[in-house]
Amino acid sequence: MFIRTVEHDTSLDKFRAEVRDFCERELPPVIREKQKRGQHLEKHEYISWLQRLGSRGWNTGKWPKEKGGLGWEPAQFLAFQEELGRAGAPPLMSFGPTMAGPVIYTFGNEDQKRQHLPGIIKGDLWWCQGYSEPGAGSDLAALKTRADRDGDDYIVNGQKIWTSTAHWADWMFALVRTDQKAKKQEGISFILLDMKTPGITVRPIIGITLGHHLNEVFFDNVRVPIANRIGEENKGWTYAKFLLANERVGNVDVAKVEGNIEQIRQLMAETREAGKPLSDDPTFNRRLAELEVGLATVKALMADQLAAARLSGAPSLMGAAALKLRGTELQQGILQTGLDVLGRHGMVYQSDALNAGWNGEMIGPESSADVIYEHLYRRAATIYGGSSEVQKNIIAKGALGL
Amino acid sequence: MPSLSSEERQQLHDSLLELLGDKYAFEHWKKIARAPGGEGFGRAEWQEFADMGWLGIALPEEAGGSAGGMTELGIVMAAVGRFILLEPFLGTVVLCAAAIEKAGTERQRRMLSDIAAGKLLLAFCHAEPGGGYAREWVKTVATRDGAGYSLTGEKGFAIGAHAADQLIVSARIGSEAGPVGLFVVPRAAAGVSLIQAPALDGRPGAAMTLAGVKVGADAKLGGSDMDMLAVIDEIIDRGVVMACCEAVGAMATVTDQTVEYLKTRQQFGQPLSKFQVLQHRLVDMSVSTEEARAIVHAALQALDDKAKDAQRLVWMAKVKTAQCARFVGGQGIQLHGGMGMTDELSIGHYYKRLTMCETLFGDAEWYLRQLAQRREAA
Ligand SMILES: Cc1cc2nc3c(=O)[nH]c(=O)nc-3n(C[C@H](O)[C@H](O)[C@H](O)COP(=O)(O)OP(=O)(O)OC[C@H]3O[C@@H](n4cnc5c(N)ncnc54)[C@H](O)[C@@H]3O)c2cc1C
Repeated sequence: MFIRTVEHDTSLDKFRAEVRDFCERELPPVIREKQKRGQHLEKHEYISWLQRLGSRGWNTGKWPKEKGGLGWEPAQFLAFQEELGRAGAPPLMSFGPTMAGPVIYTFGNEDQKRQHLPGIIKGDLWWCQGYSEPGAGSDLAALKTRADRDGDDYIVNGQKIWTSTAHWADWMFALVRTDQKAKKQEGISFILLDMKTPGITVRPIIGITLGHHLNEVFFDNVRVPIANRIGEENKGWTYAKFLLANERVGNVDVAKVEGNIEQIRQLMAETREAGKPLSDDPTFNRRLAELEVGLATVKALMADQLAAARLSGAPSLMGAAALKLRGTELQQGILQTGLDVLGRHGMVYQSDALNAGWNGEMIGPESSADVIYEHLYRRAATIYGGSSEVQKNIIAKGALGL
Repeated sequence: MPSLSSEERQQLHDSLLELLGDKYAFEHWKKIARAPGGEGFGRAEWQEFADMGWLGIALPEEAGGSAGGMTELGIVMAAVGRFILLEPFLGTVVLCAAAIEKAGTERQRRMLSDIAAGKLLLAFCHAEPGGGYAREWVKTVATRDGAGYSLTGEKGFAIGAHAADQLIVSARIGSEAGPVGLFVVPRAAAGVSLIQAPALDGRPGAAMTLAGVKVGADAKLGGSDMDMLAVIDEIIDRGVVMACCEAVGAMATVTDQTVEYLKTRQQFGQPLSKFQVLQHRLVDMSVSTEEARAIVHAALQALDDKAKDAQRLVWMAKVKTAQCARFVGGQGIQLHGGMGMTDELSIGHYYKRLTMCETLFGDAEWYLRQLAQRREAA
């Protein structure tokens, strides 16, 4: 694989212009305004935007054509993300298009594809990921939530934790134990749950951001049709790993990262040290340059993985691990720089300003609450999707044979 | 400086940890921090700290203090950090008490007794929005108005300003080119408008505008129109070293808690503490805490000895402590995994406090730059 730099690909200029134009026309003013302030979107607002993207097939542009996607080359997908970022559009949703979708079109049966893929392509439905449990984080295969057969159904009992946006989700893809006696990786199945099924309780977890994004999800005798199982019973670990590799490529949203760099550039212009803007300061400019080098590298790593996914149906576990590792470090580095600039404003965190309708007075730059929120939230970037330590273990074992 | 003997220091340290460990566990912290309609700190606690003699530890005996030095105050601040105490130590006891002691007239110094007794809360309002960390940046002006002054300007966010009885405000006397004076301004004075907000770590405070705030002649600290920038420099240095002490205490807690957590958290059929890479990480956290403690102690000692290079040491201590705080705080969250990301656990609150300590009065980058400029000048 060779490095492709997206910027120089002029064949994409027309597509870029199309995306820009689309965002200009279709991005609802409410969302645009909220995005500018970093305010939390309501589910219906987010969905309405995803549906607009869906009308063009853009939620799933990188899917192969025969799976209902547009068969985008990696460069086109990256260009798409960049244009969205620059237009101030919300980040792409990954639970459906990056995680659930590819598992369903690769391992699911025809009924499942018919039932679920259109909703993901069109952006109608919200998915969540039921992997982690209290006792199964890094050691995911130790999961205990069980699914016992009862006629045509599984009866699911147990608990998931850290389930992002479960409180919004229409569907969950989940790992459950279907064989209590087998080796831990060999007794797991991959199932799809309708979140409206009786017996599911979603309980919020408030994060260090002071926001509600995470949840605990409890299953109390939840009936799930066996028809909702993806692939074979007890082969879920294979599908789970396939999904994780895709997830890790999607973990680093380059558009978002690019937007953060832009945000910092603006903050530097607005922030003064002894009356002079930080944008005049060589040290801060050097740091920005360093972050840009990091971003270019991460984009190149990502282009490789997207290409690998096109060639062989999935990114390589190792390549995805390396990308996730460096991409999330970069993200944290960028947001640390944001915080270092903001420190000069007295470290105020007006988290209420992130809620729509807030009419208080902002101290310091307008984007400060958003930057601090992001800084705090992305402390988790090296934890979710498999921690940095876990990525290193994957590379040590898988690539270096240690 | 009549400092305490080493036995007395040990006693002070022990009594702090004993009382706070007993009464100031995290559950208690949460109750105070999140009390509906609360001030973000505990008045009863403040009184208790006064009764223990902690507020007056470095105040003169005639003010009811123990006449301890920076080392003693540092011991108190390290304990403040260990338990991330919410009460306004930094604003009242570290900064404003120093301002009054260093700059105040005999009469004004009487306020020190009230500080020691826990009856007076203050906030130091010096930094301004356009100044960043630059210490000499003062645009607020105090023009003469009859026998007193009229203050106009803008001050940046100061923790605890929302609840302070008095604000100590820096302003240039006469005009924007005048000498810098320090003024004691009642928070409730006409013309003071506060914008209240929470800090990154949730502690409430306020930024403010002063629009023709009238104060008497006796509001100005000291009897003359002497330029106070050198005094402000000393006050801020004291803030710097005490923020470092706080960070050292907080780092010690983060390290302890993370060691304990990894000993109990099981993954892959064993406690996480069995993984060598995590053992080494914990070692790095512990050594970082120790490095910061050592250089901060050296800085405290230099201040107490009135050593010539004391300021340089204080700044070096800030650089090192800020770097260590970033590492230790970040790893505290990282090694707790998802748990570290919750508002429920204390580890995230320590992370936030450490982030505050890192940036208060200037971050590592800023002090490195000052140190480099000094080398050039020398
Ligand atoms: C913001 C956020 C969003 C999330 N969203 C979701 C979601 O939507 N769905 C979902 O299923 N999960 C989600 N997760 C869960 C996430 O995948 C787990 O938190 C993660 O896998 C780590 O598990 P843990 O929290 O149990 O930490 P632990 O596994 O307990 O790990 C604690 C620390 O030990 C380290 N460690 C563990 N094992 C080893 C080892 N063998 N060698 C070296 N170091 C090791 C870890 O790297 C970590 O630093 C989310 C988490 C966060 C924080």
